[in-house]
Amino acid sequence: MTQKVLKIKDNDVGGSLNDFLKHLLSSGKIQTLLVQQTLPSKKIAFPVLVSDPKKLHADVLAPILPVSTATIISKMTKVQSPTRPIGVVMRACQIRALVELVKLNQASLTNIVIIGVDCPGTFPLNTYVDFPEKKSPTHFLLDSFTQKTDDAEKYFRSACRVCKDPIPTNADLVIGIYGTDIQKEILIEAHTEIGRELIKEAPLDEEKDEKAREKAVKEIREAKEQKRTTFLKEKEGNRGIERIAEFFEKCVNCHNCQQACPICYCKECLFDSAVFDAEGYKYQRRTEVKGLMKMPNDALLFQLGRMNHMILSCVECGLCEQACPNNIPLMDVFIPVAENAQKEFAYNPGKEKTEKIPMIVYREDEFLEVGEK
Amino acid sequence: MNEEKKTQKHENFEPKIVGFLCNWCSYAGADLAGTSRIQYPPNIRIIRVMCSGSVDSMYILRALLDGADGVFVGGCHPGDCHYIDGNYKARRRMVLLENILNTLGLEKERVWMRWISASEGQKFADTMREMTEAIRKLGPNPIAKHWDL
Repeated sequence: MTQKVLKIKDNDVGGSLNDFLKHLLSSGKIQTLLVQQTLPSKKIAFPVLVSDPKKLHADVLAPILPVSTATIISKMTKVQSPTRPIGVVMRACQIRALVELVKLNQASLTNIVIIGVDCPGTFPLNTYVDFPEKKSPTHFLLDSFTQKTDDAEKYFRSACRVCKDPIPTNADLVIGIYGTDIQKEILIEAHTEIGRELIKEAPLDEEKDEKAREKAVKEIREAKEQKRTTFLKEKEGNRGIERIAEFFEKCVNCHNCQQACPICYCKECLFDSAVFDAEGYKYQRRTEVKGLMKMPNDALLFQLGRMNHMILSCVECGLCEQACPNNIPLMDVFIPVAENAQKEFAYNPGKEKTEKIPMIVYREDEFLEVGEK
Repeated sequence: MNEEKKTQKHENFEPKIVGFLCNWCSYAGADLAGTSRIQYPPNIRIIRVMCSGSVDSMYILRALLDGADGVFVGGCHPGDCHYIDGNYKARRRMVLLENILNTLGLEKERVWMRWISASEGQKFADTMREMTEAIRKLGPNPIAKHWDL
């Protein structure tokens, strides 16, 4: 690993990061850059694909995740990999999702240069747009981050509050904000040969103290782990048919969560397919089983079916929850189930690129208690 | 005492069991039980599928949400799958499904997976008897009275 330092000019963190990305883009080592940029309305930042360095006004640290960047890369690489390198600036959860999509044959990493960025957390889309504080969301977050206060915590998306790991793994380059004073400098780490090549001629200083970063990363991971443990304990009671029926009762079966989920990749979801088209008399007969039936029917079946299909690869990005029009706190149920299921198969989604997803492999001598008792 | 009472209460209860049987082994096994005139409880409603590996957990969940008291999945013995490894994959899926059943608060004993070959008509009949009694002991599916799903 090579670690370098990006000096912050004029107290402008965003501007200095933008200059660095501009350098990468104009160096020709990457032809296109996928990065977050504030839209002309100034209200919201979205991922943009940039080829012209002059038009790049990246807003890397804007605390928002409007859509899954992993899904975008899947779209761009599934038909054919790009012929020249694309740099993609991604948060840790999205890199995990991308790795899962690669394993599912839904994306390719050929000519994709992953630039990971330490994530302090993101705000829900609507909170970001109508931010209640005087400062802009980005400034508010950075101030809270540098002063190490919990001010921003209350605005975070619930998935971010119990984030599994905010530090990117499997990235070629990492933009590090933990373990440094971001008012003065930001860390740039190259984890692969591609990353090293990319920053060879970049205007960066040599790092003197790698230990500080290591310590900070360890600390933040431990703190997050602790929060997660508390969260899992709190949500332990989210089971049983009474509780689950009540939990999902606001579900209108719109399937927004499935659209937003980076892992749900099926071209046509089973739940949108003709399997669920039935003749009128079948509805009548199904109703007769219990005497009455809540409509639209199969809303809970959709939630449980989706859970069953994606839970082993769930990277806990929380985009499903953000997409829910009725604010169902999906993570409260999904994270505990994901935790148990992934533990059972000793699987950590997004960690190892070469590992196979558990549902396509098997061992002859496993789970012998299932099948014969 | 409590246990006794419970058993008594369920004595007249006839469990509804939905069965997914693979075309190559378990379905033929059930067929053999029939042609050999082996008696077994009529509680199972058999659905023939091409492979136990083709039974998406969603079908099992749908049966349970609609009020089935038990679900049976029958496949070829490990190593005998007509499609080489469908039953091994089905077995993994069953382990995953247990997490969802747990979330729903359903006993995992309501979903059975058994390996029954085409020549095991007697085993099929015995398994049906065993399962019907086990589900009768468990009592009716608590979801059956929930119409608000």
